Amino acid sequence: MTAPVEIAGLGYAYGEGELRRPVLRDIALTLAPGEIVLLTGPSGSGKTTLLTLIGALRAMQEGRCRVLGEELLGASEGQRVALRRRIGFIFQQHNLLGFLTAQQNVAMSIELDPATSERARLERATAMLAAVGLSDRGASRPAQLSGGQRQRVAVARALAGDPGLILADEPTAALDRQSGGEVVRLLRDLAKRRGVPILLVTHDPRILDIADRIIAMEDGRIVPTKQAEAVPAP
Amino acid sequence: MNAHARHPPVPAATPGYLPWAPELTGEPSPPPVARSPRRIDPAAALWLPARLAWRQLRAEKARLFSAIAGVMFACVLVFMQLGFRSALFDSATALLASFRADLYLMHPLTVVSFKPETLPRVRASQALALPEVAQAVPVYLAQATWRNPVNGTRRPIQLVGFDLEAGVMDFPGLAPLIPALKQPDTMAFDLRSRPEFGPVPALLADRGPFQAQVANRRMEVVGLIEIGPSFGADGNVVMSETNFRRLVKERLVSQVDLVAIKLAPGADPAAAAARLRAVMPPDVRVFNGRELVQFERDYWEEATPIGFIFMFGSIMGLIVGMVIVYQILFSDIASHLKEYATLKAMGYSNFYLGRAVLSAALILAVLGFLPGFALSTALYDFVGKGTFLPLEMDAERALGVFAMIFTMCATAGLLAMRKLRDANPADMF
Repeated sequence: MTAPVEIAGLGYAYGEGELRRPVLRDIALTLAPGEIVLLTGPSGSGKTTLLTLIGALRAMQEGRCRVLGEELLGASEGQRVALRRRIGFIFQQHNLLGFLTAQQNVAMSIELDPATSERARLERATAMLAAVGLSDRGASRPAQLSGGQRQRVAVARALAGDPGLILADEPTAALDRQSGGEVVRLLRDLAKRRGVPILLVTHDPRILDIADRIIAMEDGRIVPTKQAEAVPAP
Repeated sequence: MNAHARHPPVPAATPGYLPWAPELTGEPSPPPVARSPRRIDPAAALWLPARLAWRQLRAEKARLFSAIAGVMFACVLVFMQLGFRSALFDSATALLASFRADLYLMHPLTVVSFKPETLPRVRASQALALPEVAQAVPVYLAQATWRNPVNGTRRPIQLVGFDLEAGVMDFPGLAPLIPALKQPDTMAFDLRSRPEFGPVPALLADRGPFQAQVANRRMEVVGLIEIGPSFGADGNVVMSETNFRRLVKERLVSQVDLVAIKLAPGADPAAAAARLRAVMPPDVRVFNGRELVQFERDYWEEATPIGFIFMFGSIMGLIVGMVIVYQILFSDIASHLKEYATLKAMGYSNFYLGRAVLSAALILAVLGFLPGFALSTALYDFVGKGTFLPLEMDAERALGVFAMIFTMCATAGLLAMRKLRDANPADMF
């Protein structure tokens, strides 16, 4: 099986000409299936840019980057949009649609699949909400949920589309210690059961223990670092 | 998958686990779902974005209602402008439209019916030469001063004189009055004339036929007919040809304003018109009823600024409506940029979200049109009664205005869609 993410020689710079400012240099990174990798580093080290490149949210500039079997260098907007449907995103803010219920928000990530029926989507969304422990809050709007609950809905949404990869950016930043820990553990458990790799950008030392591997970045480069200790099974 | 190997098997009945966690339930792993090539289901491709748009619109009631009010405003404005426009044109041609003959002869230099160029009366007799022509009746048109029988004020009124017994021209209510109108100095009054001519119907009901002064001559009002006021004249009276001559002495009998022709049964009007054109001298133009009305309408539409004024009003209404809808849609997108960017990150294309914005515009078009239509129908009734204009809602105009409102909202939607480009998923992290 090919690795879900294979990166070699990736570079990226913002700006043009004189103002050109490289943020990523010669990145090489491979994610194995089911692997949970934490990306840490000071702000400005380029980790978020790397995440947006892997997530096909940004056009590549140089290097090789294969995500779920698709080469991203030179990929068209349409190809990138199609690839995004196979990736689950979790953001720092929950970014749920305020006018939809929790269940409808989760169903939004499956609505793009033409093979599903409305009934199947809602059933799947209900099952996902149950899996994140919110089976009784399906009809609530995001405004009626606590911060931790919202982020759990966001986790359910990211996983509902049966993604091949999960990308998360500081998912615990807006949460207190307890709910932040719950959310990442939930994320880890759900992903592990399905063999989905997770790439998680974080500053939060409280959640380092969920990682299979921790990668540190500095000034746009990956710093050689220790292998994270094996994590006990849930 | 190597990740699974780290997990010890868990009993099957463990609650809370997902159905697709085979390593936990002990079932064999289902084969990976083959991602079928994306088929476009047109119904879902339209319905799902529309539903998203509706859910978003519905969530903010105040914004939704101000948008609906904006569309409704534009709708009412356009309906009123177009209503007035067509009412004025209809009323301008009310007299000609009430004629019931098959063909008409008019002098080619006549530009509008109330300022006619006369043609020789002999043309009526000449028309009878054709076997298709059953009757040809000269019609005299003139304006004269009518003195209000109650307060004595004077206003110009349209006189229509013709051979009543020929049965070529007819107006509602005329037939029973024909014997009375054969008496000298009698006339029939148009009951839809403006009230400034005096309460003639009431007087007639009160004291029967009575004397009124027209063109400094006392004439007897013997009954009521129905035509309707027009641009050229606020009221009409109909009388026999002889009485017309008595009243308008300066008019030569040999000079008529219009010749109305009734065709023999079964004759083809188009062929008859063609033959008339062939045999008549060049001082005659042949019209059928529809062409005659259209000719009069063209004068008002092209030779006066009336058409332009109302078109301009309609366009202003549509522009105001478009700006309102654009503003609503734009602020909807601007205040939900994060959510739109999230949807893009989830794999929603610009095109899909564009369809959602367009759907929102079209939902607003429908929601604003319906109350706008109802309000306009009520206003037509109210204003029509106040101005004596024939304001009526018809299906053609309703559909036309709906098409305009729809286009207006769609344009606003297309303009607002540009804002979607600002929702950049790369900025979400």
